[in-house]
Amino acid sequence: MARIGVFICHCGTNIAGVVDVDEVVKAAGKFPGVAYATEYKYLCSEPGQQTIKAAIEEHNLDRIVIGSCSPRMHEVTFRKMLMSTKINPYMLEVANIREQCSWVHTDKEKATEKAIDLTRMAVAKVCKSKPLFPDSIGVTKRALVIGGGIAGIQAALDIADAGYAVDIVEKEASIGGHMVMLDKTFPTLDCSACISTPKMVEAGAHPNVTLRAYCEVESVKGYVGNFEVDIRQKAKYVDHDTCTGCGACEVKCPIKVSSAFNQGMCDRTVMYKPFPQAVPSKPVIDALNCRKISGDGKCGVCAAVCPLKAVNFEDKGEIITEKYGAIIVATGYELIKWQDIYPEYGGGRFEDVITGIQFERLVNASGPTEGHIRRPSDGAEPKDIAIIKCVGSRDINKGKAYCSRACCMYSAKHAHQILEKIPDGSVHIFYMDVRTPGKGYEEFYDRTREDGANYIRGRVSKIFKEGNKLICKGEDTLLGKPVSVEADMVILETAMVPATDISKLTGILSIGSDTDGWVQEAHPKLRPVETQTAGIFLAGTCQGPKDIPDTVAQGSAAAVKVCSLFSKVQMETSPIISAVDREKCSGCEMCIPCCPYKAITVIEIDMHEHGKKVKMNVSDVNSGLCQGCGACAGACRSGAIDLKGYTNDQILMEVDALCL
Amino acid sequence: MSVNIKEGWEPKILAFCCNWCTYTGADLAGLNRMKYPENVRVARVPCSSRVNPQFVIRAFQKGCDGVLVCGCHPGDCHYVTGNYFTRRRFMLMKKLLEYNGIDPNRFQARWISGSEAAKFRDTVTRVSEQIKELGPNVKFREGRWS
Amino acid sequence: MNDIETKLRETVKRLLADHTVRYVIGWEATRFEDKTRPAFISDSADTDRLVWNKYCVSSLAKYALDEQHSEGKIGICVRGCDSRAVCRLIEDKQLLRENLYLIGLPCDDKEMNICDTCTHRNPVIYDELVGEPVLERQADRFAMVGLMEAMSADERYSFWESNYSKCIRCYACRNICPACNCRACYADQERVGWQGKQMNTAQNQIYGLTRTYHVGDRCIECGECERVCPMMIPVMLQTRKMLKDINEMFGDYECGLPDGRAPVLGEYTLGDADDFM
Repeated sequence: MARIGVFICHCGTNIAGVVDVDEVVKAAGKFPGVAYATEYKYLCSEPGQQTIKAAIEEHNLDRIVIGSCSPRMHEVTFRKMLMSTKINPYMLEVANIREQCSWVHTDKEKATEKAIDLTRMAVAKVCKSKPLFPDSIGVTKRALVIGGGIAGIQAALDIADAGYAVDIVEKEASIGGHMVMLDKTFPTLDCSACISTPKMVEAGAHPNVTLRAYCEVESVKGYVGNFEVDIRQKAKYVDHDTCTGCGACEVKCPIKVSSAFNQGMCDRTVMYKPFPQAVPSKPVIDALNCRKISGDGKCGVCAAVCPLKAVNFEDKGEIITEKYGAIIVATGYELIKWQDIYPEYGGGRFEDVITGIQFERLVNASGPTEGHIRRPSDGAEPKDIAIIKCVGSRDINKGKAYCSRACCMYSAKHAHQILEKIPDGSVHIFYMDVRTPGKGYEEFYDRTREDGANYIRGRVSKIFKEGNKLICKGEDTLLGKPVSVEADMVILETAMVPATDISKLTGILSIGSDTDGWVQEAHPKLRPVETQTAGIFLAGTCQGPKDIPDTVAQGSAAAVKVCSLFSKVQMETSPIISAVDREKCSGCEMCIPCCPYKAITVIEIDMHEHGKKVKMNVSDVNSGLCQGCGACAGACRSGAIDLKGYTNDQILMEVDALCL
Repeated sequence: MSVNIKEGWEPKILAFCCNWCTYTGADLAGLNRMKYPENVRVARVPCSSRVNPQFVIRAFQKGCDGVLVCGCHPGDCHYVTGNYFTRRRFMLMKKLLEYNGIDPNRFQARWISGSEAAKFRDTVTRVSEQIKELGPNVKFREGRWS
Repeated sequence: MNDIETKLRETVKRLLADHTVRYVIGWEATRFEDKTRPAFISDSADTDRLVWNKYCVSSLAKYALDEQHSEGKIGICVRGCDSRAVCRLIEDKQLLRENLYLIGLPCDDKEMNICDTCTHRNPVIYDELVGEPVLERQADRFAMVGLMEAMSADERYSFWESNYSKCIRCYACRNICPACNCRACYADQERVGWQGKQMNTAQNQIYGLTRTYHVGDRCIECGECERVCPMMIPVMLQTRKMLKDINEMFGDYECGLPDGRAPVLGEYTLGDADDFM
């Protein structure tokens, strides 16, 4: 028979002012299994805790119920207190008689009755409690950062500086991401490459950082502290251990294709580095377009000119399996494919309707025009330029409902750059609102207007060509009049959207994503860089549109989370997890789809059935992955899988106790 | 199976609340000193998906007059997907209970977030009023009086 | 003796002779003219015991569970409903398809009410078909449920209460049901306390309701639960209600088909029906 101690807290007058504590103690003393019941003014205080400890000894209690404030408040306190007693910390139930009783009721008699009921429910539940013991698991002190943009680089460098090993997996041939494509950064107008390339170089050279460029994550197994990740190294066709990056092969490569880095506005060779400052600074072959590999096989110039014989056309890539303790997702964003949804803007038919990122390349000194703003169609310098904001953003009918956050600022920057480089030019910015929350942002916007940018509030409804000009028709909603702008070039500031293959990755990692596909953070305010899966963190625009400062801040924040995980030798896991009764489990696998953490697998075990040794399939819970939601227990018809701490018999007892 | 409605009869209402949203919302109602009827008792579960429909039937059997299952709003589940399963289970269970003669108001499910203290108050107040109007539940109930 | 019966016996004889199967589950005659019982034929000399007539009504699939841990194949005679029961057990990971040899028997002559609403008179999976496929008929599976729904809540309650007051808790409905394939039924776990053993209407109703939602999203609508009920409780009227709701809320849904959907309670969509806002 259980020996339960019931302790009712006055909480000063917080509880005792409404609930007749003595009455509750008197009633509790009569509940089955209760060996001792008492009250105290403040149970959470040091003397209060001493009272409980003394009573445990004196009355030889084996489990306790505390009637006090919400368990969300002091359950942890009381569990800690029990650590120094003979009672297991999980042989405790808290009856919430403050937040859910004395504070919400005024009728003393009824509140007391409710407090008694709540205590009875807790007593009934604790009767079926069993001692629980946390598991401890080792932690592999190596982090994986998926995505080598500025968020991933920042996170990796911070982790590396803290003394832990970190790998960056980047799907492109170089790290750098979008930031390195940009020309200047708002609001300070410092050169983007000048501030991001040193970081790239640092990441490439850091002894704790391993760059895995041209790689993709193939599969992830395991759980916090113990992930096992298969990484696919795509075929590079160049042995990077041998290659010195001299560039001879790139110069001689005869085949040219459109450069993705330069947004298709100029060509690159098939043996290529994405851009001159690439890290690692070694080329790869774009196999799809290579004559030797995918064509008629008659080329091989690169291999011929390579002094170190580093070119290997037989490269098939490989799968690398590595163990990690933590993973940071920093896969960034893409820009919405506006051509399909905005036929009224030409749908891509007009060469001189370009996107913001194309403009970044156009205005960049190392871009296709060496920094001279020239329109793609005829190479002439455009004089009148229209900028259209919110293309795909804040447009629920065509694109996304959300605001892409950075466009207001970079469109102001674009206007500024145009007016600086084309002093006799004009800039017309079609906007819905101008949103400039950030240090120095509003000032920058003001400056742009003073530079002469013409802000027109309204969306453009149609762009069409008249001779050499692009006519942008729209409405100035402030004047309430239709407006028509004749432009030589139009820049569309398009919405940020999640990377196309992000859903594949979130699936591999079993992390959530929101309706727009952005990776879901664990809590929008308080856990912004964690995911629901322990040990997987996120940084940067994979979580939602943001600008560079916010992205970098998140990178560092995620790094701190990883470091705090790595600072432990062993990690304790909560004992409130599911467990399978193998005698009952029929292996029907109904629990498996309910588990958001892929914590349940089917294993084959030896069993005896009718005197025969047989192999049976039963569910098995991985204690490192299980987070204790109990969805599996709610789905199991025979109750074979049950949630410790909230077992079926505990809850049934609780329900019964209420109805007594 | 006769149950006498005594003078001043108070219904017994059991609310299963998920730890991360509705239980927090109920605590917040306390912090804000909101007032609601005393006849609602909360059972805390980690996630609404932990609630086996059996618990609901059991509550009616043992003498509850109304049962509420509350969790995070769809999409906000602390455990990512738990409440989607809750939704399916109890959408079907509710209809099955109604089919078996239980008044739809006696079993209800609601999504109440950790910040929706007022919604918690309003929900339990309304449920309490509805159950009071319906009177004691006799269906599925073990006759303790007969 | 009919052609199909002859062919069936020949088939089974062949399967036993060439050791394709260890034994075959079929039906045999009893001393009652209008009753058959399951037969387990392991000797090719015994194949003449097998019968095929309108009284071959008992479901056979669940007997295969006895061979869950045995080597080699067994044969089962499957009508539409039996084949769906086999699908059910395979989908619930209780049987392996490769351990079964299914002898398909199109079935169109049964005289049970439950068969009027049958939508799969031909086996949905089989290794060998004996006889020609029969014409499938349109059937309104949920007509009775609709009638029930038209009643008032109190009328429905009285209907079920009076039915369950008859229940003797023999668990025949559970034992025959191919969807009831738990190793340990909740109703037998008195120590957990799911369900009391007392024989009273409330307990019986709890049992009925619980069994309904345990099998409701996996019910293959064979109607065996009703056939075996000694107290004539219309058990499938409960599971069919759940199936009707599933059809209405989550789209066309029939269980026990080889290309069938996963049980609806094991999946979800973001846009599911939601009355709980």
